[in-house]
Amino acid sequence: MLEQLLIFTRGGLILWTCKELGNALKGSPIDTLIRSCLLEERSGAASYNYDAPGAAYTLKWTFHNELGLVFVAVYQRILHLLYVDELLSMVKREFSAIYDPKRTIYNDFDETFRQLRKEAEARAEELKKTKPVGKPLTNNKKQGQVQKSDGGSKKKSDGVSASDGGEGDGTKGRRLENLSNGNHVDTEETKANGLFNGKENTSSNIGAFDVNKLQKLRSKGGKKIDTVANKGPKAEPKKTITKKNRVWDNSPPEAKLDFTDPVGENGDNVVEVVAADQGESMMDKEEDFSSESETEEEEEEVGKDSKPDAKKGWFSSMFQSIAGKANLDRSDLEPALKALKDRLMNKNVAEVIAEKLCESVAASLEGKKLASFTRISSTVQAAMEEALVRILTPRRSIDILRDVHAAKEQRKPYVVVFVGVNGVGKSTNLAKVAYWLLQHKLSVMMAACDTFRSGAVEQLRTHARRLQIPIFEKGYEKDPAVVAKEAIQEATRNGSDVVLVDTAGRMQDNEPLMRALSKLIYLNNPDLVLFVGEALVGNDAVDQLSKFNQKLADLSTSPNPRLIDGILLTKFDTIDDKVGAALSMVYISGSPVMFVGCGQSYTDLKKLNVKSIVKTLLK
Amino acid sequence: MASFEEWKTQLEQWWNQALRYIHQIPQDQLYAALAVLIFTFLFLILVRLLKRTKSNTIVLSGLGGSGKTVLFYQLRDGSSHQGTVTSMEPNEGTFVLHSEKAKNGKPKPVHVVDVPGHSRLRPKLDEFLPQAAGIVFVVDALEFLPNCRAASEYLYEVLTKASVVKKKIPVLIVCNKTDKVTAHTKEFIRKQMEKEIDKLRASRTAVSEADIANEFTLGVPGDAFSFTQCHNKVTVAEASGLTGEISQVEQFIREHVRP
Repeated sequence: MLEQLLIFTRGGLILWTCKELGNALKGSPIDTLIRSCLLEERSGAASYNYDAPGAAYTLKWTFHNELGLVFVAVYQRILHLLYVDELLSMVKREFSAIYDPKRTIYNDFDETFRQLRKEAEARAEELKKTKPVGKPLTNNKKQGQVQKSDGGSKKKSDGVSASDGGEGDGTKGRRLENLSNGNHVDTEETKANGLFNGKENTSSNIGAFDVNKLQKLRSKGGKKIDTVANKGPKAEPKKTITKKNRVWDNSPPEAKLDFTDPVGENGDNVVEVVAADQGESMMDKEEDFSSESETEEEEEEVGKDSKPDAKKGWFSSMFQSIAGKANLDRSDLEPALKALKDRLMNKNVAEVIAEKLCESVAASLEGKKLASFTRISSTVQAAMEEALVRILTPRRSIDILRDVHAAKEQRKPYVVVFVGVNGVGKSTNLAKVAYWLLQHKLSVMMAACDTFRSGAVEQLRTHARRLQIPIFEKGYEKDPAVVAKEAIQEATRNGSDVVLVDTAGRMQDNEPLMRALSKLIYLNNPDLVLFVGEALVGNDAVDQLSKFNQKLADLSTSPNPRLIDGILLTKFDTIDDKVGAALSMVYISGSPVMFVGCGQSYTDLKKLNVKSIVKTLLK
Repeated sequence: MASFEEWKTQLEQWWNQALRYIHQIPQDQLYAALAVLIFTFLFLILVRLLKRTKSNTIVLSGLGGSGKTVLFYQLRDGSSHQGTVTSMEPNEGTFVLHSEKAKNGKPKPVHVVDVPGHSRLRPKLDEFLPQAAGIVFVVDALEFLPNCRAASEYLYEVLTKASVVKKKIPVLIVCNKTDKVTAHTKEFIRKQMEKEIDKLRASRTAVSEADIANEFTLGVPGDAFSFTQCHNKVTVAEASGLTGEISQVEQFIREHVRP
């Protein structure tokens, strides 16, 4: 049964709830929905699942953008209520007719709602009777995203064969329905039936060839996955090329790059090491953010726009832009959204994410009134810009220094674990972070937990010597989780403030290695799990992050597993304006970009400038 | 091209005609018209300026779930209606406070803005701060301890905003939900927040200077922080949005938006 139906404004005032249903909801599904779904630009999705102790709800929603209303229906997840979408749209229609911004109490809507609900339930009942045809279809279309396709094709083939009998049943049922709750909604009922008849016919038709379609879709999907998986290793060989003698911009000239010869086997007794000091880390430098000329952007915009509008004629579009269009609908937004999506994808945003973002922007604009003297494209652009800023604005505080000091007060070292796929620059950026922390007068210790790749410990040791900080190592072939544990104990003993744990790179699909990582994180409970990802990555970013998060959750033995807390974006200097990876990663993981690595020297560590990223993305 | 030339001659003709008409009008009338025009312009500009100097905007801010929207509707309608959910957009309204509606005379309406507390929507606050006459920072007194750090961080951000420091916008910290028995007292909350801000100050200013965008520091360096050290006036009050015990908030608003 429906648990609750709410109507509220975007400002947050509840205008109407169904008192009849009146069941107290467990937990706060509505607030959670808004916080973790609607405000995260995921409102393009079909439904949202909420879990609380003792309750599992599914929530569906719809917006009325012109009036700024939100309609949310809550029901138990085990009941797959089919009429909810329909009911919501009916409620939306009826309620918007009586809505008045000044009014806050709508008791008279109770009666209307009762009728609407009865109607919807009756229709659902019928659907159930002719179920083989109707159910899989609606299921697939509307809820397919959530309920991992429940063997749709099989049901459908059944459905086609049974459809003849089903229809007969349906009419019978309808008659009965008419008799039973006949009196008060007579006319509407028949109307609805008429409608339904039509629907049924078409649906059975669709059902007939849908099986093929589904198979096609499936094979397509399979292909897609293949290509995605292939892309991963392809990107790899690129970066070996960059490993050359590099002239560092602001490093002392006498610094010798090759530290390997004097070190020998146990290289701790080196003669002298130049303590690396290359000035202030870029994390601390104020970035001067040049506001580029907006006009240029605009002009380009006009050029792009004129194409789809050309058909309508210059005059009518001009008139529209002056007078303001009544209500935006999907077809108006389509061309502008498509252009925007292409632009995002050109900037290396993963396709899935560009798609989802556009959908959610469309959902937020549909039905809105276009202000006078604006073009659709500029409205869409503004909405997208707002959405992007919202996504990239960190949800949690990214003030690591503050957290370090808080940990210091508790006399505990602050532990950061660097994770990521192979060759993205974990160790290099670990050294940069260490350098930055050192500049803030914190004592740092490194833990070499990459016990897998040969040379990894030596690499870290070199960094440690250059920065003159202690390193904890136990050689190779040891369990990294144990090494990390000992390192943290050691740090607690000698009073280090921060422990930076380097781990071996691993592909997101490699289960044994992911299990080891999950164990390391579970055992040591670090304060920060930092995902290191390269900015060069395109569609694979989605795969990497979602799989890392998922594997950490699935393979963990603890009931509430740790996920990725933050992102370190590397190789940011190599991508010019293709900054899409930042958006993809943040959107997928929901965690902020904490550092950006942008060069080869220790100082090349920056904060993410949200404004400039958004500007670049929409350029 | 020929049509263009035609247009040109046509235009010239019209221009000449217009000039002739103007010459026909007596000079006095022309000057009078000009004077009227200039006067209206000046008047409009003056109105603008006056409006800007006398701001009547009160901004409600605070973490999500602390009760800003309820407070907003309590101020406006004197009731919290059927409850609220997390806001997705700011609530804005210019109205006469509900408690003053019954009074004689004509109290000045107040422009109240309720800015959502969700961290992703915080940039919205910057839009409203420059014109604010006062800021009401709402804190959940019931669930204070788990949210103490986040709330203090947010308050620190608000207190160090350039527009707040420069214009010395007064801030009222409202401990909401005091109708509940287990709610913390306002003294306790004040002390905890001062302590927390003191720590924040240490981590944000002493250690990293250019790290944080805001260039203003709070309080006197070397001393433990207290709200009295702020350049702007920071006071603490208690309220309960649900039961409508908001007299202290109303008093604050009336202090800074004169009736």
